[in-house]
Amino acid sequence: MDASFFSNLILASIRMATPLIFLSLAELYSQRAGLVHIGLEGLAAIGSLTGFLVSLITGSPLLGVAAGAAVGILVNMIYAYATIHLCAEQIVYGMAINIFAPALAAFIYRVYFGAGSELVQVGLMTTLSGMLGISSDNFLVRLLLDQTPMVYLAYGLVIFTAIYFNKTKSGLNYKAVGEYPKAAATLGINVVGVKYVASVICGALAGIGGAFLVTCYSTTYTDGNVAGRGFIALAAVIFGRWSAGGVLLACLFFGFCDAVQIRLQVGSYGIPYQFFQMIPYIATVLVLAVVGAKKAGPKGVGKPYLREER
Amino acid sequence: MKNKLVNILVPLVSILLAFIIGCVVMAVLGANPFVALQSLFIGAFGNARNLGTTLARSTPLIFTGLCACFAYRCGVFNLGGEGQFIMGSIVCCYIATQSGVEGFPAIILCLAAGALAGGLWAAIPGFLKIYRGQNEMIISIMLNYVATLLMGVVYTNWLRDGTVPQTAAVPDATKLSRLFGLRVTSAFVLALVTGLLIYYFLFHTAKGFQLRAVGLNMTAARFNGFSVKRYILMSFLVSGAIAGLGGSAELMGTQFYLINGFAVGYGFDGVAMALIGQLHPLATILVAIFFAALRVGSTTMQAATGVPTSVSDIIQALVIVFTVAGLAMVKLPRFKAAVARMSARKEAA
Amino acid sequence: MEEFLRMEHVSKRFGDFYANKDINLTVCKGEVLTLLGENGAGKSTLMNVLIGLYQPTEGEIFLNGQKVRIDSPAQAVKLGIGMVHQHFMLVEAMTVFENIILGDRNTKGIFIDREARKKEIQELSAKYGLDVELDKPITEIAVGAQQRVEILKALYRGAELLVLDEPSAALTDMEVEGLFKIMRKLTEEGKSVIFISHKMREVMHISDRITILRAGEVVTTLRRDETDGQELANLMIGRELTPSQYAKVEQPGAPVIELKNVDYQKTSKHNGLSGVSLTVGRGEIVGIAGVDGNGQSQLAQVVTGVLTPEAGTVDMKGSQVAQFTPNGFILENVSHIPEDRNKMGLIGEMSVKDNIVLKSTDTPAFSSGKGFILKKRAIRDYALKMQEKYDIRCASIEQEARNLSGGNQQKVILARELENSPDLLVAVHPTRGLDIGATRFIHDTMIEARDRGCGVLLVSADFDEILEVSDRIIVMFEGQVMGVYPGKNPPIEEISLAMAGK
Repeated sequence: MDASFFSNLILASIRMATPLIFLSLAELYSQRAGLVHIGLEGLAAIGSLTGFLVSLITGSPLLGVAAGAAVGILVNMIYAYATIHLCAEQIVYGMAINIFAPALAAFIYRVYFGAGSELVQVGLMTTLSGMLGISSDNFLVRLLLDQTPMVYLAYGLVIFTAIYFNKTKSGLNYKAVGEYPKAAATLGINVVGVKYVASVICGALAGIGGAFLVTCYSTTYTDGNVAGRGFIALAAVIFGRWSAGGVLLACLFFGFCDAVQIRLQVGSYGIPYQFFQMIPYIATVLVLAVVGAKKAGPKGVGKPYLREER
Repeated sequence: MKNKLVNILVPLVSILLAFIIGCVVMAVLGANPFVALQSLFIGAFGNARNLGTTLARSTPLIFTGLCACFAYRCGVFNLGGEGQFIMGSIVCCYIATQSGVEGFPAIILCLAAGALAGGLWAAIPGFLKIYRGQNEMIISIMLNYVATLLMGVVYTNWLRDGTVPQTAAVPDATKLSRLFGLRVTSAFVLALVTGLLIYYFLFHTAKGFQLRAVGLNMTAARFNGFSVKRYILMSFLVSGAIAGLGGSAELMGTQFYLINGFAVGYGFDGVAMALIGQLHPLATILVAIFFAALRVGSTTMQAATGVPTSVSDIIQALVIVFTVAGLAMVKLPRFKAAVARMSARKEAA
Repeated sequence: MEEFLRMEHVSKRFGDFYANKDINLTVCKGEVLTLLGENGAGKSTLMNVLIGLYQPTEGEIFLNGQKVRIDSPAQAVKLGIGMVHQHFMLVEAMTVFENIILGDRNTKGIFIDREARKKEIQELSAKYGLDVELDKPITEIAVGAQQRVEILKALYRGAELLVLDEPSAALTDMEVEGLFKIMRKLTEEGKSVIFISHKMREVMHISDRITILRAGEVVTTLRRDETDGQELANLMIGRELTPSQYAKVEQPGAPVIELKNVDYQKTSKHNGLSGVSLTVGRGEIVGIAGVDGNGQSQLAQVVTGVLTPEAGTVDMKGSQVAQFTPNGFILENVSHIPEDRNKMGLIGEMSVKDNIVLKSTDTPAFSSGKGFILKKRAIRDYALKMQEKYDIRCASIEQEARNLSGGNQQKVILARELENSPDLLVAVHPTRGLDIGATRFIHDTMIEARDRGCGVLLVSADFDEILEVSDRIIVMFEGQVMGVYPGKNPPIEEISLAMAGK
């Protein structure tokens, strides 16, 4: 194992962490408004399919990502209406989205490509160094420039989120909705409004996270390509203690696990590759088991908010 | 009484709505919805052979549905039915193809070992929930992926049989017998018996009664002297065992060898069926047969009208989306008040 | 003095029940008006009307002589009414500073201008002596400081009238002194305060005028310097001694349960027990009197095995209890009517029938083969019998328990808890929220159980109830036993004062 092994590993970690960052931030925005969302896997799946189709049709991965975000929002409005207005149990409805959205994605795929389709591929997003025409083996150049715009967007969003929740008035009010909606309401904060805004952000980010997989990572769409990232994102939010910075670190850790397993698969060492593929999932279980049940999340999560009437 | 009526009405209305939307989609795709629905029905129930296929298809779904149903009755969200199902089938595959035991003793052994494997696999999230206070949902889902990958190791490596990545088939003597020469096997009977046993346990035994009480109100259950932790652990073990039993039965009844794609989606399907069946074991069985019928019938429908089979997935998904929302809606105070007003008006008139 | 708030003929009705009836009151600028009344006298409802949580059924509200409509808490804040709830409306995960500026609309800009806001808050806190550490998280400051944050929050939003709902309930004596200083400072600056309390000493100390509420109506309003604690206590409770209709037991049987120096979360005055010793004998009803939240809930949960005491011993029928589990106590034949019937007593989504047999499905009466076969018919017949015996009014015994009225829900619990002749019955607020008929029925049932030889520990915040059925009365205050009094010819004045911590 030489230096390039490690620099490649770091670069891969950053790339693998990116979709997780989008999904974890989606979960963070949702939970900060008191909505626990276990349906991100489904939102990402439909986002991924949309992103794939739109970038195939238009030839523009960026448009694909935008469309993925839009459809993510659209589907998440079902979740928002059911949990906010109908007071459906958030967990149960998240599961419903997990069943509904992938089925919709699979259906659209079949309708568009027909039954016995051959593998369709799309072009990936160009990296910044590609746009600038720089090509270098220098580690720092690769780290800072050889990334797609989505990677910059993800890390930019982390910074934005950290500032938003810690430095702005609106972010403070937003957090109050997830912590103690009744107190927020007595202070004139529009609780229902914030929850809808949260659902829009959550749907968009989850859709982008899904679209990332087909515009920046893999050239083709397959059913189940989200591969549990929607659920790992939930764990990353818990592990990251509901803060943007913590979530980033958690995602980098899980991204690293993913990168390691890919590297190890290449090496093989005579061990079935599936054992390496288990690493991110087992890491998630271990992390949750070690982190324990310290309840640090927003206190109002999971509870329906009913305006008081008697 | 009124409640029971609503509980039946909501899923029925949801199914109706889902079919209406499904028909619109079919029409948009250029097919005649009535012809499509007709071929769907014939494909699923039209003759003994099709019915046999539908029931065979429903068998694994019944097991994962019952798995979810049993766990939720105790207030535990076990989303790991798929992993537990797969662990059961892996153990079954080993015993059936490697132990040298064949025939009826092997079948019994496989079923027992499969149930045990599923139960133990479910015990992991169970223990982590009880002793680490951890979220059982994420952990059980992660273990689904681990189990799927482990199955991958088995069919590509450890028990790989020949050049194709799959295991050897279960010996003929260990296969479950077919019923009336149709595709449906005694596994279906086993599924029905399991469902009846669970129904009996939940509604006709003291322990089942207490388990339901724990699931409905843990605080009151504790105040009334029930050991909440014990019931939670038990619900994990039993629900995992049901799924594991199903994995074993599916392998010996229908699938015979492990291969890529085995059991994909069965876990979440099980959750959906349990929710639509409102956690009633017998209703869950009916929903499972309904789901299977959609899947089997959609093949005929595709051949007849060109509507892709995945329309049936959409219809299923819409049923769950509508049912869950509908059940939440009828619980709203606003909705109850409106119903009360309407019936009052009816009486006045 | 100039009038600030006037409420005229305000009524609030829920269904057929008047929580407030024809209330008139005024609050002047720079005065402390105390609202005095027992639990359920209508104080909270009245204040919820004032801060816009409820709309009054009748009546009008004037501020500075102008008629106003208050339709939301946010509107009340805008009009200068600030409320400090008994359960603080503070976001625990945030700092003091963040809680104060939360929801702020008066300042421009996207970002929080910490320096400018802090300066404003510090000026306010210096003016009123509201000493707080702005950068500490809420969870790390004492309850008294949390209360100061609530007051600052209200003042920061421009409150002219502050409603303090039992503000001293959770405070230490030192903190109460501090609170009073702040209240004086507020009135000196021309602000008005509505003070809600049960504690006579404090009421006499801080009030300018006192309005006494009883059963939803204003009894009278008195000036502090024209009255004394005894008169107020009598007016609040509103009765001279009326002889109880039940015969009182003076010589109880052997002890069923005996607590010696039991501690539980000793430092918490309102959710703990400190050195509690008491005995309940066979065939007597021991009434625990006291204002809610003085450790009664914890006492009830210790003697039913839900909580494990941190110090002291509990003897059950003469032998010391080693392990505290609800099941262990149930096996010792202890019955429990818990304080929250929906949360702790009933499985709301199960039927009346199921709730009646909840604890005993594995007994031979209702199942055979070690619980393997439920005897559905036996259960049904038994439930029908209980429905009749305890007069449970429901459409059918298959009806879900949550859909029953409070009184009938309580009867379901009574049927479950009393039918197998317990040795000890622990009843917590058994008639809370029930009508007269149901209350009477429950009292009769408790007396019957007593006469069968059951020891009864009755916890109630309803003083009438305590006087009516108790053979001995124990007053609890801040987790301690204040005194033990006979149930026959009880010294009401003494007990009233003990309940107020005197």
